[in-house]
Amino acid sequence: MAQQANQPLPNGFTLEEYTIDRQLSLGGFSIVYLATDHAGEQVAIKEYLPNSLALRTRGEINPVISAEHLGAFRYGMKCFFEEGRALARLSHPNVIRVLNFFRANETVYMVMEYEHGRTLQEFIQKHQGHISERFIRGVFTRMLNGLREVHSNKLLHLDLKPSNIYLRSDNTPVLIDFGAARQTLATDQPILKPMYTPGFASPEHYGSRKDLGPWSDIYSVGASMYACLAGSAPQAADLRMKKDTLVPAMMRWDGQFSDRLLEIIDWCLNLNHLYRPQSVFALQKALVETVTPPRPKPAPNWIGRFVDKLRKPI
Amino acid sequence: MRFTIYQESRQGGRANNEDRTTYCYSRDALLMVVADGMGGHHYGEIAAQLAVQTLADAFQREARPILTDPFRFLQKGMTNTHHAILDYTARHRLKDTPRTTCVACIIQDNVAYWAHAGDSRLYLCRDGKVLTQTKDHSRIRLLIEEGMITEAQAAFHPDRNKIYSCLGSPHPPEIEFSRKTPLDHGDILVLSTDGFWGEIPGETMATSLKDANLVQAVPLLLTEAELKGGDHCDNLSVVAVRWEDTYVDTASSAISTQTMSQNEVTSRLDEFGRNPAYKSDLSDDEIEKAIEEIRSAIDKYTPK
Repeated sequence: MAQQANQPLPNGFTLEEYTIDRQLSLGGFSIVYLATDHAGEQVAIKEYLPNSLALRTRGEINPVISAEHLGAFRYGMKCFFEEGRALARLSHPNVIRVLNFFRANETVYMVMEYEHGRTLQEFIQKHQGHISERFIRGVFTRMLNGLREVHSNKLLHLDLKPSNIYLRSDNTPVLIDFGAARQTLATDQPILKPMYTPGFASPEHYGSRKDLGPWSDIYSVGASMYACLAGSAPQAADLRMKKDTLVPAMMRWDGQFSDRLLEIIDWCLNLNHLYRPQSVFALQKALVETVTPPRPKPAPNWIGRFVDKLRKPI
Repeated sequence: MRFTIYQESRQGGRANNEDRTTYCYSRDALLMVVADGMGGHHYGEIAAQLAVQTLADAFQREARPILTDPFRFLQKGMTNTHHAILDYTARHRLKDTPRTTCVACIIQDNVAYWAHAGDSRLYLCRDGKVLTQTKDHSRIRLLIEEGMITEAQAAFHPDRNKIYSCLGSPHPPEIEFSRKTPLDHGDILVLSTDGFWGEIPGETMATSLKDANLVQAVPLLLTEAELKGGDHCDNLSVVAVRWEDTYVDTASSAISTQTMSQNEVTSRLDEFGRNPAYKSDLSDDEIEKAIEEIRSAIDKYTPK
């Protein structure tokens, strides 16, 4: 089927109590707008509009959904509800907040907070390869607070990547776009393909997906940290499974960053999910821990040596 | 190897689709499987999925690029499926074992080898005629062969759906093997479940698929079978292949395996899981309810 891009709602369009300012982004599954509410506050509005199932042509408001796709469209809507439900339950400074949810124009809309800032992706592109270790540790430790909250609600993000980590103007990170935070889609709906981004998706994202777990999001965290250093996404996991050409962070940036940070990145990027940090907590602990190298023992004097010798057999 | 292939499985009028199909090919060998999970027993679709998956997995391991012994491969694959189903039953403490029929065919070196258990069939068609077909493992087939009843009577016989061999039953399955059958250019092999062959006679398959584009012709036949089957039409599944001589210029949808490496295997197998088609549609009321639920969650969790 030929894929046509959906037309966004026109600027200035009144949608319930909001006025559309402009389109922020267009995805295969939805369109995100910047809008203003009646109090003059800016919000982001996400419109459920899967490209392959519904088409809004120029000048139209209501999308055309053919009868054969109605079932799949409604099913996708269920997933959109799951995203809404998931986010509505999460109230955390490092996770985007949902403000409202409503139905209009034969589809559904999710209103989210909007703040000035940029995505980590934009930040990486601007600072190609010149991102400090302090910045990385700071952003990722706080971002992991949000991810911990997500996991403790029995959810997986499943599409973590720099462009889904939003930095407020004070550089506090916010997790956005939980569009992939649902597992049922994977096997159920051939038209609505599971979404993942090459380079950031874990090996478990490909294939049967039965091994997906917190460790899969952790792979994506590792890949995002790697991207901060490299300036671009690491080799995609499916290609790594065939022929791994990813240079370990430990080798690539030896001496430029602390061994501990590089070690953590490589730890997260293990292809075998069992070898990665198994929980966000474990990863966070490693990130904030200050490593003190073991101090050499003071050379014992002759009495000490004698006592040690006596002690040994016990 | 050069061939055109098409597979499709439809739900018919049933609540879910317990049929499974797959095909895999390496540079020099092709495997096709059709399995019909038995509706009278629970988890029929699991048994059928186990059958296609076990055979496809084994093929990917062993077709490098040809199988050393196709008959042995089929025998092993089907026996392993049978045991996998019994293991599944034990592991999940099911009261009754899930069961499935199975027909599988290998083609390599221009020779076809097939095996079946139950009443899923393989038809080999040449020049618009059925050259050979598998014989169902059903009571009715035995009765016909003994001359007790005629084909016409069989169509309405109360026992026409009873089979005495399948994978997953407590009795070991009876697996019947074909002869080694050399294929000619243009030969068509059709593997199908009873939902399809019950409505479309073999002769119709042979004539309508002869020289036709399988990608168009098979769905038409499926639609016809579905119409004939009526409201309570059984699940219907088909894998059809046209064997094509390497020297003849063929349709663009033909698959050529010349460029594949020795150890490469391509598979077309749907992921496990229920077909979304039998997920109930979201009604308007349910949409309103979901929105209401999300709104109250927002209110509840938003700090005022």
